[in-house]
Amino acid sequence: MDMRMTKNRWLLAAGLVAFALLPWGLGVYHQHIMIVSLFYVMMAASWNLLAGYTGQVSFGHAAFAGIGAYASGILAAKAGVNPWVGVAAGTLLAAIFGFLVGILCLKLGGIYLSLTTLGFSEILHIIINNEYEITRGTMGLQVPGLLSEYSKLAYFYIFLAGALLTLGVVYRLIHSDLGLNFRAVQNDERAAASLGVDVVKVRVLAFTVSSALAGMAGALYGHYLLLITPQIPSLDQQFLVLSMTVIGGMGSFVGPVIGAFGLEILSEYIRAYGEYHVLAFGLVALAVARFAPRGMVGIFRSVWERRRQAAVHPSLPAESP
Amino acid sequence: MDVALLQGRGLSKRFGGVQALEEVDFEVQAGTIVGLIGPNGAGKTTLFNIVAGTFPPSSGVVLFGGRTITGMPAFRICRQGIARTFQVTRPFGEMTCLENVAVAAVNRHPGCPKEQWMTLARESLAAVGLEALKDTAAKHLNVVQKKRLEIARSLATEPTLLMLDEVLGGLNTQEIQEAIGFIRRLRDDRGLTVFWIEHVMGAIMQATEKVIVLDQGRVLTVGPPREVVADERVIHAYLGD
Repeated sequence: MDMRMTKNRWLLAAGLVAFALLPWGLGVYHQHIMIVSLFYVMMAASWNLLAGYTGQVSFGHAAFAGIGAYASGILAAKAGVNPWVGVAAGTLLAAIFGFLVGILCLKLGGIYLSLTTLGFSEILHIIINNEYEITRGTMGLQVPGLLSEYSKLAYFYIFLAGALLTLGVVYRLIHSDLGLNFRAVQNDERAAASLGVDVVKVRVLAFTVSSALAGMAGALYGHYLLLITPQIPSLDQQFLVLSMTVIGGMGSFVGPVIGAFGLEILSEYIRAYGEYHVLAFGLVALAVARFAPRGMVGIFRSVWERRRQAAVHPSLPAESP
Repeated sequence: MDVALLQGRGLSKRFGGVQALEEVDFEVQAGTIVGLIGPNGAGKTTLFNIVAGTFPPSSGVVLFGGRTITGMPAFRICRQGIARTFQVTRPFGEMTCLENVAVAAVNRHPGCPKEQWMTLARESLAAVGLEALKDTAAKHLNVVQKKRLEIARSLATEPTLLMLDEVLGGLNTQEIQEAIGFIRRLRDDRGLTVFWIEHVMGAIMQATEKVIVLDQGRVLTVGPPREVVADERVIHAYLGD
């Protein structure tokens, strides 16, 4: 068992190094896809913490990314604040809003929570569109980059660090005592409370951390694109993140990573057919949620289980033809 | 003399136009097994919910160990040492049996080493005889096993007072006898105080020292089980005119 653990750890480290070296062999376009994929890893992994582990299906996650992006962008473009300080400020502001929305949604569950966060998202969208003086509305706000010299390779490493930080935070949380509490609250709030789980704390904490991570992702993304538009806090973006998480595997640690890379890469290939890809992903996500609620990760896992059982009991058929 | 571990004074609860409880006074002495009986709709589970902090009473106070716990949130009441099971079991379906119990254990010992609360979780699961199913998802258990899991979770909160809400439903005669023995041992060996809603009258007769009878939201009578079942008013409440 220990041997296998260390072997897995080495494999993971080797894979990570290989991945980190990958963009050196890629052109600018493919480097861009990698960077955007890493942005979606941050978004999907942090949304999964909230929706997959505490069952709060928020439709406001893209809005929190927008708060991070606009806060950092406005500070940098209008007040000349260092973009890195701006990213920190954007993360903090998203955390504060996440905390407040979390409290607002405390007594809400299921569809009511989703609708409330959807409303929050739309309000933010309207404000950004109309406060032209500050946000430049749909024209977009030009913001400075994170580095004095623009380099896709450098951005790749910044986004890789951001994604690893996000995954690290999520991993630590779900593998701590809190992880048990998260899942207990998701399964049955009343039973959890009766066993000493502080449901209010668990829910608000998940909302705050998840929003802060989205804020960080959004802020970094804005300084990468150099132009912040209401597309970042849009519902399109929200449903893309949702589809990535659901298709990858909601409530599993690697699900959002698989979903983010898979769907971002796929959407680049089907871009030629217009903006219908979000719709297509939405439909696939619906089908997955209905027929394979554990997503790709769940499908891989059950195939793997069957293989392993077939190896242990060779008499059983491996898979039905 | 007997100390009242749990006391209710003048507890009333109104749901809209329905008076679920009216001016209920009761006492549960430390180290005893007290039964709570009454016909359907008498307000038994409402009383449990008020004590456990599911909702506050409309008026009245609940005292635990002499201190008021009225209106405290459920998780805090649990941490004071009151555990309860649910009449309709509420397992964490997607989690394994051991994880179900671990939730209770970890919140009893927050910030303590994992080994410590996992040991408590394993012991609690073993106490109800579910150790063989520790890695099974709780949704796969049958009704009786789910009831056992509820008790294991309650025990893992290391309570002083255990409130059982109809844990014998669905059990056969032999299982009922085993369950009664188990609950008595919780009191005799662990010193737990048990407050017990039960429809199986035989169990109440055998196991309890005192019975509180509720009828239409009021305390009808209180006394030793043998006297209570012989009481005309109790028979009348159960059987009607």
